[in-house]
Amino acid sequence: MNLPRGRRAVIAGVATSDYPHLPHLSEHAVHGQAADRALADAGLTFADVDGFATTGFFPMYATGVAEYLGLHPIYFDETNSGGSSFEVLVEHAAYAVESGAVDVVLVTYGSVQLSQMGRRLGTGGTGGGGLAPGPAIYDALWGNTLVGNYAMAARRHMHEFGTTPEQLAAVAVSMRNHAATNPQAQEREPITVDDVVSSRLVADPLHKLDCCVISDGGGACVVTTEERAADLPGEPIYILGAAHATTHHLNLSAMPSLTITPAAQCGPVAFARAGITPADVDVAQLYDSFTITVVLTLEDLGFCAKGDGGAFVEDGGLEVGGRLPTNTDGGGLSACHPGMRGMFLIVEAVRQLRGQGGATQVPGARIAVAHGTGGMLSTGATLVLGREAP
Amino acid sequence: MTERWFPDEMPMPAANAETVGWWEAAAGHRLVVQRCTACGTTRHPPGPVCPRCRSTASEWFELAGTGTVFTFTVVRQAFVASLADKLPYVVIVVELDGSQGARIVSNLVEVEPEEVTVGMAVEVAWEDMGPELAVPRFRPAVHRGERP
Repeated sequence: MNLPRGRRAVIAGVATSDYPHLPHLSEHAVHGQAADRALADAGLTFADVDGFATTGFFPMYATGVAEYLGLHPIYFDETNSGGSSFEVLVEHAAYAVESGAVDVVLVTYGSVQLSQMGRRLGTGGTGGGGLAPGPAIYDALWGNTLVGNYAMAARRHMHEFGTTPEQLAAVAVSMRNHAATNPQAQEREPITVDDVVSSRLVADPLHKLDCCVISDGGGACVVTTEERAADLPGEPIYILGAAHATTHHLNLSAMPSLTITPAAQCGPVAFARAGITPADVDVAQLYDSFTITVVLTLEDLGFCAKGDGGAFVEDGGLEVGGRLPTNTDGGGLSACHPGMRGMFLIVEAVRQLRGQGGATQVPGARIAVAHGTGGMLSTGATLVLGREAP
Repeated sequence: MTERWFPDEMPMPAANAETVGWWEAAAGHRLVVQRCTACGTTRHPPGPVCPRCRSTASEWFELAGTGTVFTFTVVRQAFVASLADKLPYVVIVVELDGSQGARIVSNLVEVEPEEVTVGMAVEVAWEDMGPELAVPRFRPAVHRGERP
């Protein structure tokens, strides 16, 4: 195709919507609020947008949001890989602008899950009446829940590596400590390891406080080229590397190992594309649907050896000043989790690299990783972001 | 066990082209796993193509119905109201004996949740859901070793 070459993708603007409780807003309105703010952050307007990406839980979702936003894009994408979707959408957007197909891709996320469903834990699962056809039935007959699947991975990790409930709890404690400094966070009251392991079991060995909150909220980012960003007021953040992977759909019996996630595949690829190693990463934003999700992801991305994740997260290992400052906004465990949290990881990574991290700013952060996890540990997507051009 | 273990509101199995043979075997209380006749690799859930060698040829390989608990959870919060009375219940991943590593998700029944361990020996406990429909749940394998 006759397209310009030699372009370099950057994120020029980011924003979160209001969160975590938005009973007065529709899902589309959350997209709109985040889009307005991200474009303003970038110093751009809707007239500059020629590409659009978002995803939700029904077909032609992006088309519907584009109509609401008044966009007529010549590039759109609604790839859905669950919780990792927004890392995938931004990777695709980077390819789109680097190929020269478009100049400005707006990526938005919006959800009013909390207001729609009432406040409860995200135990979600298969149930209710009717017939479940084909392979899906092998997951639907047992009364298993979303938490239950992650719990079975946690149990397996404990069996293979001696990981303890207290080590998993340390993840929740650190996220809460970060959330305590985030005025928007859904849960801000500090907690202890003992609080986590003495909270009620939802699906053994995961307790209530091992599980993410359920929120309303959204976010947006603007992907463009280094050249276009040079004329804009803000500091552009480079998309240095990206990759995604999948190992199975929803049935854990088809997951090759319950303690190795797709991050083990896509993480090294993304790091190689960025020309970095895990040791170069200053701050991480890792999908934290459950505490075990973080432990598995740390190991699979190579921040520690397989099986050592429990020790890695102990004693504030994930806090600012610790081994790897992680989820500096408080994460899905405490700040906000509207269902597919991946956009929040990207926004917070960019803020950290711009020095806008507030009380949890990692001093001098130059390289950040955002990693989303979707389904039943089914998909993973890694973005490596940096302050400086590669 | 022939009594319905979960309430009637739970989904009923519906077969498709790939899974009908599996459900026919289950109706006869035979636990089978799909095996590629080209390379011998087993797979579960059933699917149209061998993920290892891409052959579409397969057979239903009958297992003894025993296995070990690969991992488990005790569900203590229901996601649908009709399951609330059943709490707590045990969901397991079973590694099936003689299956070359094939696993199946199921329930462990006739057990106290506190007694379940990874590595526990289990055996199939068929639940008849209708005249031509049975579902394999599992129970602790009290007779393990005495079976053919």
